[in-house]
Amino acid sequence: MNATIRQTVRAALVLVAVGALTVALAAPAVASHVTVRTSMPSAGAVGEIIPLAIDLHTPDGAPLSGTTVTYYLHMSFAGVEGHAVIGRAVTDDAGVAALRYEPRTTGLHQVRMEYLAPGATTIESVVATFDVAGGTQLVRSAGGVDIPGINPGLLMVVLGGVWLILLRVSFRLVAIARAGGADVPPEGDGPR
Amino acid sequence: MAALSGWQERLEETALAPVRRTSRRFWALVAAEVAILAWGLYAYSFQLRDGLVVTGMRDRISWGLYIATFVFFIGISHAGTLISAILRVSQARWRTPVTRIAEFITVVALICGAAFVVIDLGRPDRVLFVFIYGRWQSPIIWDVLAITTYLTASIVYLFVPMIPDLALFRDSLKGRTSRWRAWLYRTLAIGWNGNVGQRRSLAAAIGVLMILIMPIAVSVHTVVSWIFAMTLRVPWNSALFGAFFVAGAIFSGIAILIVVMAILRRAYKLHEYVTEKQFLYLGYLLAAFAAIMIYANINELLIHGYKLEEGAGFHLRQLFLNDFAPLFWFYLIGGLFGPIAIVLFPATRNTRGIVAAAILVTVAMWIERYVIVVSGLRVPLMPYAPADYAPTWVEWSILAGGLALFALLITLFTKLFPIIAVWEVAEDHEATVSAFEVTSPAVPEMPAPSGGTYS
Amino acid sequence: MPPEQAATPESSPKPWGATIPRRRLLRMLGLGALSVAPMSVLPELLRTVGPGRPVEPVDGPRKPATTRDGRIRQWTMIIDLRSCDGCQSVGGPPRCTAACIEGHLAPEPMEWIEVYEQELAGDGTRFVPTPCQQCQNPPCVNVCPVGATFSTPEGTVLIDQDRCIGCRICMAACPYDRRFFNWGEPPIPPAALLADYSAEHQVPARKGTVMKCDFCPDMARAGTLPYCVQACPNDAIYYGDLEEDIATNGRVVVAASRFLAENDAFRQREELGTKPRVYYIPGHGEAVGRDVFTPGRAPAEWPWTEIVDGAQPWQR
Repeated sequence: MNATIRQTVRAALVLVAVGALTVALAAPAVASHVTVRTSMPSAGAVGEIIPLAIDLHTPDGAPLSGTTVTYYLHMSFAGVEGHAVIGRAVTDDAGVAALRYEPRTTGLHQVRMEYLAPGATTIESVVATFDVAGGTQLVRSAGGVDIPGINPGLLMVVLGGVWLILLRVSFRLVAIARAGGADVPPEGDGPR
Repeated sequence: MAALSGWQERLEETALAPVRRTSRRFWALVAAEVAILAWGLYAYSFQLRDGLVVTGMRDRISWGLYIATFVFFIGISHAGTLISAILRVSQARWRTPVTRIAEFITVVALICGAAFVVIDLGRPDRVLFVFIYGRWQSPIIWDVLAITTYLTASIVYLFVPMIPDLALFRDSLKGRTSRWRAWLYRTLAIGWNGNVGQRRSLAAAIGVLMILIMPIAVSVHTVVSWIFAMTLRVPWNSALFGAFFVAGAIFSGIAILIVVMAILRRAYKLHEYVTEKQFLYLGYLLAAFAAIMIYANINELLIHGYKLEEGAGFHLRQLFLNDFAPLFWFYLIGGLFGPIAIVLFPATRNTRGIVAAAILVTVAMWIERYVIVVSGLRVPLMPYAPADYAPTWVEWSILAGGLALFALLITLFTKLFPIIAVWEVAEDHEATVSAFEVTSPAVPEMPAPSGGTYS
Repeated sequence: MPPEQAATPESSPKPWGATIPRRRLLRMLGLGALSVAPMSVLPELLRTVGPGRPVEPVDGPRKPATTRDGRIRQWTMIIDLRSCDGCQSVGGPPRCTAACIEGHLAPEPMEWIEVYEQELAGDGTRFVPTPCQQCQNPPCVNVCPVGATFSTPEGTVLIDQDRCIGCRICMAACPYDRRFFNWGEPPIPPAALLADYSAEHQVPARKGTVMKCDFCPDMARAGTLPYCVQACPNDAIYYGDLEEDIATNGRVVVAASRFLAENDAFRQREELGTKPRVYYIPGHGEAVGRDVFTPGRAPAEWPWTEIVDGAQPWQR
């Protein structure tokens, strides 16, 4: 009987251990069984809106819908590097979440997508890269309103007109000076 | 007619008298004016050496007495426009004795006004940059363009109707005056002898000028007002500024004309030509423009006072109750209601009363310019305590120097050029006389080779 | 009077306007008056006509700061008011102001970045560090008669002290109280006299000219953050580029547009239409533990001026 009890206890312990191990591994095992597929655009340019797609499925192939995916882009500016949130997308019925993103820098972009699968306790992430080519200037600031016709040219025309008239008056003065030799009325001093 | 020719002779003698004789009092006056001007230049030397820190202006109130005086002088330069141009166009005969002085006030005031802008600059050594690098979009460039155009047009408008009188001087003073003066009159009279062709040219020139100078004058003070109105400061951000300033300019122009006319009338015994009628009519005009100014002020103040937006509330309080109250109320009561009251009551409706009204208006309009500039800048733009401004001795001295320059130039003018438009006054007189006379064969008036352009 | 004169007036034409028929005259005057009437509207109309494109900088052709693919940087600043307590916790003058004064040798009493204390609508105060707002429709550039103050392709507004004539219309026009004048001779340390002057680096200062915050374009071009951004102990000031849609406060990087939108950013005096490049995120210093009812901050100081002999400050 002792051998039987010992065997049973050993089996029970093994079962418990295996069960515990199974349970221990079960949770992450369930999450780590989420199938993740990312789809990054092959070519993109600055100013062009490109989709950054991520595909989430459960281990048995069912799409994981309604999961919010947060996108982080690795950025660097003035010697400071970090990841900044560039958007969020929610997986649809097909398990696909696609963020429509307008890249603003050129070169290799590293994007990290984080999501919390239903039932999971830790956030998971996946990293992908895509390349962006250069583009044209996006931000241009125009000060004020441009009204055709109201411009300095109009001012110059008006001013030119006024000075032309003054010039014509000066011609009259020249005429007066020149007429000084003509037809002088008879010299008559005294009471005028 | 003997009486007519006697009258004509007296007129010409009165016009020539200042040039013929110079009293000691004249030299004393000139000496005083030069002394004050010199004191102003001495004060300016401090400013050139140390910078604008010698004034009371600072970052928060960055314009003060200089800009106020600049606007004031440009304002009184409208004396000539109103009298000479508008009244000439409407053929008001009573204006003939005062046109010459009005036109000269215009020229001198423009020169003094332009001087004050240069005085206000932080880098006067770079004043030519305005012409080299001028930006057409800037209100200051519009100002420069308008004032130079107006100055040129005013000088021409002063000179052209003066030609027949200069010819009178040339002929009457021949041999009896210094050589340079004889040369001056001969040159400036450009060979005038009163023949038909010349008279026609003169008529055409004056006709064009008197119409042209009105929009120029209106544009000048409108553009000066836009230096303020083109900013985003609460008290200045008003569409009414252009019209408001032009009305104020004509208003102060009439006032200074009355004052200068009263002084010159006493000094040169012009009582026969500048009679009480001139003062009365100018007084009526003064009262009329005071009414227009009251209307403009009601518009501005009531519109803002009804709504009391944040900055407007502060501004109205500082005008009516707090810092600027004494100045502002003096302007309202002394400068606006005063002239109307003086003209209204028969007891004060005379030369003396109207001259007093004109003095009040001149002072009040300078105060109004000062209040507009300083109170406009005082309204806080951001959360800070409002700054204060008080002109220093340098600014007051330069103001005195500027006024002395104004007086000096007019004083010197009267010694050099005919202060009365002889031919216009004579023409007006003859028209009045002939209106009363029926047909009376008079002694043939020989057309003179100089002076009178009527025959 | 000679008989021929007693006849029609044409024989002796009056030399002034009597020859112009009165009716025609009045008609001319009327038309003239009509042409003057629209002038009352012009102030509004013309104020909106700013320079449509950036003005050629006065100090000669300059290469603007660009991204790697040649797009011109569009400098911007984002000030997170949740983290600004006016340096109350630091116990001294605001560090941003102090660093700017030190770095630029700003004469007393110029505070190119000034920390205003704004009263909130519901009582309490908040501190608002205010540099030059670098407007895209800048009133100061619009009114300058000689083009001494100008917009750069990067969107910043600079002043060329070699061109400024000191008329101060730009100071009247700026609605943010951000321009300062050298009323007297500004103090200049001996080293600064040898400095190469440029509009991006306003050293040495000139008497009789205007100065202001310039967004430190020379530093930004070289990839360094401006003095105020570096100095803030709470990292409240972000400096960035709208073209690359990126900003940093020295510690973290953010995507500028998202950062602004998600935090309800606003600009000062938006209704004036100046289109400033400085954005603010509403707050009152709560992120650094400031209670909204604690007023007051230490006034700014200019310790560097003590090394210059005879430095004469003036009042603000």
